[in-house]
Amino acid sequence: MKLNTNQPSFSSYQRDNHFYDEIFSENNEVKEVYKTLLNLYSEHTVQDFARLNEKAKASFFNQGITFQVYGEHETKEKIFPFDLFPRIIDHKEWSHIERGVLQRSKALNHFLWDIYHDKKILRQGIVPLDLINSSANYLDQMQGLNPPGGIYNHISGTDLIKHSDGKYYVLEDNIRCPSGVSYVICNRTALKRALFGVFNHYQTHTVTDYAENLLEIMESVKPRGVDVPTCVVITPGIYNSAYYEHSYLAKAMGVELVEGRDLFVENDFVYMRTINGAQKVDVIYRRIDDVFMDPLEFRPDSTLGVPGLLAAYKLGNVCLVNAPGTGVADDKAIYTYMPQIIKYYLGEEPILNNVHTYHCNRPDELKYVLENIENLVIKPVDEAGGYGISIGNKLTKEEIEKVKTVIKENPRKYIAQPIMSLSVHATYIEDSQSFEPRHVDLRTFCLLGKDKSFVLKGGLTRVALKKGNLIVNSSQGGGSKDTWVLKK
Amino acid sequence: MALNYVIKYAATNVYENLVGEALWQFLIAPLNSGSQQIISSEFRNSLQIPVEKSINGYGFETFRIHPKKSFTSIDFEAEFHLIKDHINPFEKTNASNLEDEFSQLNSLNFKVEHATFLKSTALTKLPKWHEIDFIYSEEVSIFENMKNLNLWIFDGFSFKTDVTDVDTDLDIILEEKQGVCQDFTHLFCAIARSHNIPARYVSGYLHQGNGYFGDSQMHAWAEVFIPGCGWIGFDPTNNLIAAENHIKVAHGKDYSDCPPIKGIVYTSGTNQTTYSVEVNAQQNAQQ
Repeated sequence: MKLNTNQPSFSSYQRDNHFYDEIFSENNEVKEVYKTLLNLYSEHTVQDFARLNEKAKASFFNQGITFQVYGEHETKEKIFPFDLFPRIIDHKEWSHIERGVLQRSKALNHFLWDIYHDKKILRQGIVPLDLINSSANYLDQMQGLNPPGGIYNHISGTDLIKHSDGKYYVLEDNIRCPSGVSYVICNRTALKRALFGVFNHYQTHTVTDYAENLLEIMESVKPRGVDVPTCVVITPGIYNSAYYEHSYLAKAMGVELVEGRDLFVENDFVYMRTINGAQKVDVIYRRIDDVFMDPLEFRPDSTLGVPGLLAAYKLGNVCLVNAPGTGVADDKAIYTYMPQIIKYYLGEEPILNNVHTYHCNRPDELKYVLENIENLVIKPVDEAGGYGISIGNKLTKEEIEKVKTVIKENPRKYIAQPIMSLSVHATYIEDSQSFEPRHVDLRTFCLLGKDKSFVLKGGLTRVALKKGNLIVNSSQGGGSKDTWVLKK
Repeated sequence: MALNYVIKYAATNVYENLVGEALWQFLIAPLNSGSQQIISSEFRNSLQIPVEKSINGYGFETFRIHPKKSFTSIDFEAEFHLIKDHINPFEKTNASNLEDEFSQLNSLNFKVEHATFLKSTALTKLPKWHEIDFIYSEEVSIFENMKNLNLWIFDGFSFKTDVTDVDTDLDIILEEKQGVCQDFTHLFCAIARSHNIPARYVSGYLHQGNGYFGDSQMHAWAEVFIPGCGWIGFDPTNNLIAAENHIKVAHGKDYSDCPPIKGIVYTSGTNQTTYSVEVNAQQNAQQ
């Protein structure tokens, strides 16, 4: 099927050859997996889509599936815009992704065990000691501690993009409190509500089995001597931007949603206050950052945590999911060593590509960086939040010279990466009332437990709704799509 | 000759208004290891609240008190009996070869092994702009260097209470040249670490028989790791090498890892806290 520009909903779809298009191939042919869907969608009129879009929005709002945008003057409750056009990943492509994210999660778990125990990878100089020493997320208190089941990153959220070469690349691994899984499930529900019929034409894996798998993972890492563990989800409270997700997960798992003040520690065991008295708690899915977890051990002014929690954990009486101190392994600097980390612990080649990184402290790589700045992104290794990043193709000649001088002065401080371009996907745009290409990424969700693992067959496809925008974050006006993983 | 110690710790907290909820954690019990042998340990409070024993993040023993009814004042009293062995820190320090000693400090394995106590922390960060005229020399042993550092701090800085706080930065200490044992210990650790020598902050008690500065509260000193010798304590406040007069409670990267008391108290209005520490020793005739 050729791209038919007379179809109302695709009338202004303009393919940009600089980017990988998920739906249309280079000669404007619709890709195989999308053919049926596009045919089905072309039966609807412009008005149909406008109406369905409004309905979907209202449904999210009415269910309270919202997040907060912190503004200068007021905090606004917004919905995370949901797009009517799903992303489809075929069976073969998915199995590659699934093996890849599982491999990364396992390698990161080995890495965390090592840097909190024997530190072999540091002693052998494979990962520089300085990276660990300078990380604020490395917790000395975790040294020598054996978490139940040997698991640190029970829940990992790996972010992928598809580059213009048509290959997936990992942007980052999130192993503190990755969020977004509730949107995956809500998006599926919303699309089913809006366009139920389309699901009859595809065999799509379910995404609603996430909660039961999460519960199984949590139960698998119960403390020693516990028969049937009591699990809870702890949230910072209703003002947290991901509160909806915390409440969703607790409800879907059938466990209590608690705040710090609902728990207390006595004789190094953790209890939950209930109307029937104190109940011992064995496994805690915590959606509170490390430093707020226990005011006796970390920030003393934290009212979100539970005093004495870390000691109870250290003594093996409760399991924390994810373990404290995982943040050391998901920062930018460690990311660049992921291929080596995978090889070191698993003896395997990485299945998913890392974005290639040039370390300016290595003379030959420095030479390449200095000669090719216009094609690279230059990042300082030790700064967070996007500070100090230079994007080569956006710099003037003068600025390029300036960046070169700065790198030469302190090459150790800089890394460089090729400029990656996110693939585009047809997305419903309200203003033009039609589908237009917009940049997308993909967050995957991987669970690790004792002798058990699970990768959610689906994920959160985030889409940058602003034309030309590469930032898909919800706080920056991003939306999301239902993501289908096909059974065959 | 071993010493028999009796250590008494007392604290009184008085609140203007009723306290609805509170929780305290004390890190004050002498360590039961190495040269210290605990005979008995007791901890009481005026509200007769059962005392829980737990550990802090680094595994040192703590006492916790969690009153379940309201109050406006509470007294704590602890009493520890222990035997402290005689220590001669010079015994193990003269054997090693200088070159070996210094080259060990620079090996990656050593740096990984001791990473925790080589990192600088907020309280042990040396200001870049401040020149430190302490002379570190590879002509003499690490032990000699640390003795010199002890003396450099003791001579150059004066002991003065109430001019610094538990979280005073080193640039202020270096500028004002005064402070208390915490500050001098932080400075000692910072300079030792800047020369790749692992150094840790020690919280404990000082037997003040000879008029040493100990502030009749808890004391602080530093321990450094010397290859071939192990951890050796230096007390820059008194220009001493820690021996049988120094009774260790806990160690950490800096003060914030081992404050004697941590409390979470929900109340309005003002409060007043007073402490006292008493350390009494007698020669142990039986040994």
